[in-house]
Amino acid sequence: MISKNQYIDLKKVLSEKRFQGLWMLMSGYQGEYMGAMIYQILSALAKSGTYLLLEYFVDNFLLAQTAGFSVWVIAIGFVLLFLFQGITTFLSQRAAAETAEGTTRRLRDYLYDHIQHLTFSYHAKTDTGDLVQRCTSDVDAIRRFYADQAIGIGRIIILFLVNFIALLKLNVPLALYSVIVVPIVLFISIYFFQKVTKAYEAYQEQDAVLSTTLQENLSGVRVVKAFARQPYEIDKFKRDNFEKYKRGKKLNTLHSLFWPISDIFCGAQLLFGYYIGARMAISGVITVGTYMAYAGLVVWIIYPLRNLGRMIVQMSNGLVSYDRLYKIIKENREPLDQGSITSHVKVKGDIVFSHVSFHYEDGSEVLHDISFECKAGMAIALLGSTGSGKTTLVNLLPRFYDVSEGAIMLDDSDLRLYSRRFLREQIGIVEQEPFLFSRSIYENITFGIKEKVTQEQVEEAAKMAAIHDVILSFPQGYKTLVGERGVTLSGGQKQRVAIARTFIKDPRVLILDDSTSSVDAETEAHIQTAIHQLMQNRTTFIIAHRVQSIMKADLILVLDKGKIIQKGTHQELLQQEGVYRNIFEIQTKIEEDLQEELSRAS
Amino acid sequence: MPVNTFEETDYSREGATGKIFLRIFSFMKPYWGLMFIFLVAVILTSVMDAYITYMTKRIIDEGILSGNISILLNILYQYGALVIFEAGTVFTFVYVVSIVGEKVRYDLRQKLFNHLQSLSLSYYNQTPVGWIMSRVTNDTERVAELVTWGILDSTWGVVNIATSMYFMFKINTRLAFIVLSILPLLLYVGIKFQTRILRQYRIVRKINSQITASYNENITGVRVIKALGREKENLKEFSDLTGEMYTSSYRAAWISALFLPTVQLISSLALGGVIWYSGAQVTIGGISIGGMQAFLAYITSMMWPIQDLARVIAEMQRAIASAERIFTLIDTSPDVKDKPEAYDPGSMRGDIEFEKVSFWYEDNSPVIKELSFKVKQGETIALVGSTGGGKTTIVNLICRFFEPKRGRILFDGKDYTDFSLSSIQSRIGVVLQTPHLFSGSIRENIAYGRLNAAEQDIEAAAQLTGAHDFIVKMDHGYDEQVGEGGVLLSVGQKQLISLARAVLSNPEIFIMDEATSSVDTLTEATIQRGIESIMENRTTFIIAHRLSTIKNADRILVIENGQISEMGTHKELIQKQGKYYDLYTQQFRQEQEKKYTLFAE
Repeated sequence: MISKNQYIDLKKVLSEKRFQGLWMLMSGYQGEYMGAMIYQILSALAKSGTYLLLEYFVDNFLLAQTAGFSVWVIAIGFVLLFLFQGITTFLSQRAAAETAEGTTRRLRDYLYDHIQHLTFSYHAKTDTGDLVQRCTSDVDAIRRFYADQAIGIGRIIILFLVNFIALLKLNVPLALYSVIVVPIVLFISIYFFQKVTKAYEAYQEQDAVLSTTLQENLSGVRVVKAFARQPYEIDKFKRDNFEKYKRGKKLNTLHSLFWPISDIFCGAQLLFGYYIGARMAISGVITVGTYMAYAGLVVWIIYPLRNLGRMIVQMSNGLVSYDRLYKIIKENREPLDQGSITSHVKVKGDIVFSHVSFHYEDGSEVLHDISFECKAGMAIALLGSTGSGKTTLVNLLPRFYDVSEGAIMLDDSDLRLYSRRFLREQIGIVEQEPFLFSRSIYENITFGIKEKVTQEQVEEAAKMAAIHDVILSFPQGYKTLVGERGVTLSGGQKQRVAIARTFIKDPRVLILDDSTSSVDAETEAHIQTAIHQLMQNRTTFIIAHRVQSIMKADLILVLDKGKIIQKGTHQELLQQEGVYRNIFEIQTKIEEDLQEELSRAS
Repeated sequence: MPVNTFEETDYSREGATGKIFLRIFSFMKPYWGLMFIFLVAVILTSVMDAYITYMTKRIIDEGILSGNISILLNILYQYGALVIFEAGTVFTFVYVVSIVGEKVRYDLRQKLFNHLQSLSLSYYNQTPVGWIMSRVTNDTERVAELVTWGILDSTWGVVNIATSMYFMFKINTRLAFIVLSILPLLLYVGIKFQTRILRQYRIVRKINSQITASYNENITGVRVIKALGREKENLKEFSDLTGEMYTSSYRAAWISALFLPTVQLISSLALGGVIWYSGAQVTIGGISIGGMQAFLAYITSMMWPIQDLARVIAEMQRAIASAERIFTLIDTSPDVKDKPEAYDPGSMRGDIEFEKVSFWYEDNSPVIKELSFKVKQGETIALVGSTGGGKTTIVNLICRFFEPKRGRILFDGKDYTDFSLSSIQSRIGVVLQTPHLFSGSIRENIAYGRLNAAEQDIEAAAQLTGAHDFIVKMDHGYDEQVGEGGVLLSVGQKQLISLARAVLSNPEIFIMDEATSSVDTLTEATIQRGIESIMENRTTFIIAHRLSTIKNADRILVIENGQISEMGTHKELIQKQGKYYDLYTQQFRQEQEKKYTLFAE
């Protein structure tokens, strides 16, 4: 038996079959949800009971005094039945809510964890907005399935069945005469709500269009003003606004037609039933009490049907959400702990690439036959244009991707023997414009650090990364929030926060992108010093953009179209004909040009 | 303005409620006729609803118990007529209320948008876009909801309760008094419940948006999370959040579920009373059987109008707070606006002069200090200097996005605040560093500069600015969609399009704020001549990025700390070996490096 809060590996238990999947999804709550249905049955029984008691009361107390007990009993009976109905309804809704919320919580947690464990290649090809959309809207559709639709459909069917059986008990022909309109009402409501759903989607679409128009206007306010285009903008907004009005009108017209039309059908059915029933009562086929019970019961088998159509349509739309979520869930996770070499060893940092090739799943090759070696503590500069494979090459080190052919050795062991988790603890990455989280600067610096760190250590690291003074200049210092709700850091500042983080992490291998966004010369020098310090005693891979860091590197790899075209130290490469010498010569030429330029002016 | 000013409060300031109500209703003025029809339809429906229940009594008492089929048929005919008539009134009020609702939404949105167009840049600098958007989308929704469905539900509720009470009194006075006495209790409980439910759902929504934000961050930052191996802690934090979500939404759900049983409990006591009373009375003729049936029906259906009324009352406070925010926005008056006697001089040609101009965004931190300079008609002025020195503010002042706090800006010898805003802004062409495009095609975006421009003019502008080449290479050429805010294009491409847009507007004064900073070197060279032809005979300000443009300027102003630190031609300033000299050499190296590097990123 699975308990409510138990973790379930949804990937293992879910399947493409929707209802089976939805059933498995509520493991631990299945009993509870069935309970909710049983409460609905009890509630419906109590409702029928009320009318049957009414029948008894009318026939045996009011029309003839045949009952041998006080009217009090009847009165209390009514109150109790009513209460019972209220309590069971409440219990049913509560159980359904607990199931819906509990199941959704588990689903949310699972998705969250699943997504952060999915592979790099999955994330590379998946649109962020779409993924977020699925995790929010589609999950909510699942929640509504449990909280409203399944239980709601169950309730209406139960109400229908229980009350219909009660009607049959009262009088069979009368009962049969009372459900003539059922298929018609059901058909109309399904037909209408399909249309309503479409109209609603169209309305929502236009809502998004209008929001975009508004947002573009607000964020482009300088352009609007610069061209004095206010009248034009007002016209544009008016057009979109009016379209939304029109679509809203269409949606509402459907509603305003559906309710009265179905009212007429339901009303006609009631009228017909009343006529038949009243005639039966007059001719003595049924008692007056029976007629009254009938009049009360029949309402409950007809009117709820209008909502049945609505719920069926909504549910069928909701089920599509299951398919979309299942697609994410069935993706394979990246096994973080798989590998024989884990925390008990200390990495030195000797790295050998031997005949490494890499291609994506679709077969497109990014790296071809890459071979080089470097000793612990060396700096390797990677040079190449966009798409030359530099980034992919460094992504192989933390095993974001695994090599397709050949092997990478770290300290004489194949990289694939190391667990990913361990490996990533040993490697630090500083990107050109790193992603920061909307938390405090302090939390961003200590993000992902396993050991306890003190405020002093954090400040020390920030000082080494030349960001300490910047942080102190904010009113809330290290507690300053980053992002929309706090300060917006420049690219250079973000990079230095990442450098500070890497100082604390103290990895053996370092991957860094040394290009800095436009900063003034002084800050530039600070960053260079920080980076230089960080590189001490670590094997460093630099995606190089500036001559300085290239010149100091122990090994320079010039990449083109996934291949190494030149390899060596600065001195060695200067001796060779080739790309590298060309680049370097340009630097000297620039200085000559500048001097010439200046002398021309003076 | 501090950020927390924009936190939403759901409660309006005290005392203002009545006035706000009046103002809301003044918005409804155009729809009073429709509202009247709607109210009549609601009242009719509500009365008929109560009467139909009364009819079920008549079927029993006058039809069945008396055994008279012709009376029975007569009642049933009436019943049928009522059903059809009621269908008509239901259609009328649902239709009218939705139309009025959509129309009021439309009006409010349009009114806000129109007003927003007149507000100054200072307002936009202080107010987050999201905050404004929420006024236009959410608040209008809430107010419209109040004046339509709110009125509907409360009218229907009140009339339904009143007519039900009327028929109950008609059937039996004493019993009706019992029901009447529990009404206030029902309403009180109803309002308490609804207020509580609303508050709980508000908490749910808040946590929900935190969950969305978490997903967003986790997915966007997945590379960093993997690199730092923080999966476990992340999940723990997220799980705390979903735990909170579970608790509060479960709570919201069961409080909602408790509402009806509670109301039922209260009314079941009344129900028991009715049964007991009728058991005693029927024999002595106090209440008829049909009457008792009707009573039961009235009591059991009483909870629906109660629920509706309570909900409207509970939601009202929020809607009023929304209305208040809407009105605050509408009442905001722009800082920069036309003087009453402002006029259009017909041309902005002529000299431009800054006369001891000072400007600050925040008190005590002036951005421009006593700045004075004069530009002759047709001159090209380059503004250089480090970031934050005040160059962009000077542009903002010339465009009159802001006005000087002290001093004057003269166009052809006259204070420019004497002119109308549109006369100035329609004659200045500005190209901004961060180009902003609107969703739509490239053609539409260029034509933004001149709305009625002919096809060949658009292409000519694009050719002049070097945009034509990349445009024709696209699948749909000039019809290529640029995406929201221009996301489908590179920054360089966007800059070229916004340059073409400005050229097409054929301005008298031309301003380029680092207009081509992201354009690649090759394109830059090809558009150089185009730009020069544009600058000819026009007064031009360039905040330049490229040395070539600066060098050819008639005059260079070096702006430092809101003041002019150096002024002169390229040659003069190089010889001076001051700030400009440093900037120039630094820039030269960077530019050349970029030009020669084979691996330009």
